[in-house]
Amino acid sequence: MSRFFLSLQEGRLEGTKGSDGRVYFPPAEFDPVTGEQLHEWVTLPETGTVVTWSWQSEPQPNQPLEHPFAWALITLDGAAVPMLHAVDAGDMARIRTGSRVKVRWAAERSGGVRDIACFDLLEGAS
Amino acid sequence: MADLCAVVGVGQTKHASCRADVSIAGLVREAVDRALADANIGIDDVDAIVIGKAPDPLEGVAMPELWLADALAAHGKPVFRVHTAGSVGGSTAIVAAQHVMAGIHGTVLTIGFEKQSDGNAMWALSVPIPFGMPVHAGAGGYFSPIVRGYIKRSGAPSHIGAMVAVKDRTNACKNPYAHLHEPDWTLEKALESPMMWDPIRFVETCPSSDGAMALVLMSEERADKHPGPKAWVHATAMRSEPTAFAGREQVSPRAGEMCAEDLWRKGGITNPAKEIDVAEIYVPFAWFEPMWLENLGFAPRNEGWRWVEDGVTDIGGSLPINPSGGVMSTNPIGASGMLRFGEAAMQVMGKAGEHQIDGARKAVGHAYGGGSQFFAMWLVSSGKP
Repeated sequence: MSRFFLSLQEGRLEGTKGSDGRVYFPPAEFDPVTGEQLHEWVTLPETGTVVTWSWQSEPQPNQPLEHPFAWALITLDGAAVPMLHAVDAGDMARIRTGSRVKVRWAAERSGGVRDIACFDLLEGAS
Repeated sequence: MADLCAVVGVGQTKHASCRADVSIAGLVREAVDRALADANIGIDDVDAIVIGKAPDPLEGVAMPELWLADALAAHGKPVFRVHTAGSVGGSTAIVAAQHVMAGIHGTVLTIGFEKQSDGNAMWALSVPIPFGMPVHAGAGGYFSPIVRGYIKRSGAPSHIGAMVAVKDRTNACKNPYAHLHEPDWTLEKALESPMMWDPIRFVETCPSSDGAMALVLMSEERADKHPGPKAWVHATAMRSEPTAFAGREQVSPRAGEMCAEDLWRKGGITNPAKEIDVAEIYVPFAWFEPMWLENLGFAPRNEGWRWVEDGVTDIGGSLPINPSGGVMSTNPIGASGMLRFGEAAMQVMGKAGEHQIDGARKAVGHAYGGGSQFFAMWLVSSGKP
């Protein structure tokens, strides 16, 4: 898993490819089909699609954003499975299932999933 | 009548204070791959998986078995978790053996693991947990008054703990997988080790380790067709009792005595000290070696410390105890019991390498957990019962 966290620190999104060709992001360490350790890494683009979402109208301490935002399952382009992260949509009316989003990197990165600060809506695409 | 069961593969990780190079899943898989390679079978040949680790707060991961299915290649197979505190590695191996003995599965993979660097066992054992008695001072604070009780009633001199510590640390240098490799200990040096929980010195305590142990068990029908050495399970026993009750014997808990009596009876052993060639027993604090020698019926009451002093439990002695270096040199809590069971199997399979006891035919694995309240043992042999 080190490679996943180190690549985030370097500003890259790296997933693993399973025996059936499916790409996992966040990476699966062992193949969900065969159980073999996965060694083939794939660099993914910073864009993806919202699969489903929920609005956080009153953010709690230590959440990704201090103003209202969306928790969303996002499938990166080229990945087979979605990941959970935050979308800074500004207003609940602006996000929907199918919205196109792009990674916003954290200013200071430390090798953790919070190196992705959140996702931004791609203007005009949703 | 139960079916017979044999250990046909043993695999453990390199143990260390922090295995930062692997996740919990990777740690578990390292032991699994070695056990499967040792058994010369593939993961598809496994019918069922039985895993165990110590209580969840110790790693700060609740129910890790829920996300280990991929690493265990457990898709579509039964996974069973066992939970008996520090004795869990032993009771997990026993439950796995019972899957085979009951005739339910032909080949069972069993794993004990702990990645202590992901948590903090000392504090996990110290915080008040609802409905439980808080220990406050970790395991050492809990057990030191019991060790004092043993010293008082047996008249053991104060250097016995240090002698056990030096023996186990020296033995560990013969075990490439052991966490601590400290070849330079002498009794003089050990006696100068700082006092942690009087009468327990720092050197007389176990380390905190990351590690895993895996075993492959087979039914008689499959083991008979399987090439290579085997450790036949002659007997298993488990006993338990509450942590606290009026009049409880804490130094030599009744449950531990009953567990051993049951094992000897089932295994046809009438003189354990004579008939057992080597034993791996759960000694997280050095003084527990003489205490368990008595509790398990090897040594007469109050005589266990004399056996330590006379070198009976050394690798060259008549009853070598923990030639692997034991818990005193490697303690990934959830794996520690299975390490005892697996090391006992390795001895009768002739696979213990540098710490092999020549001609070992009958060996015992032992584990205890909680406040000396859960006990698990097995007796294995190179020959069938």
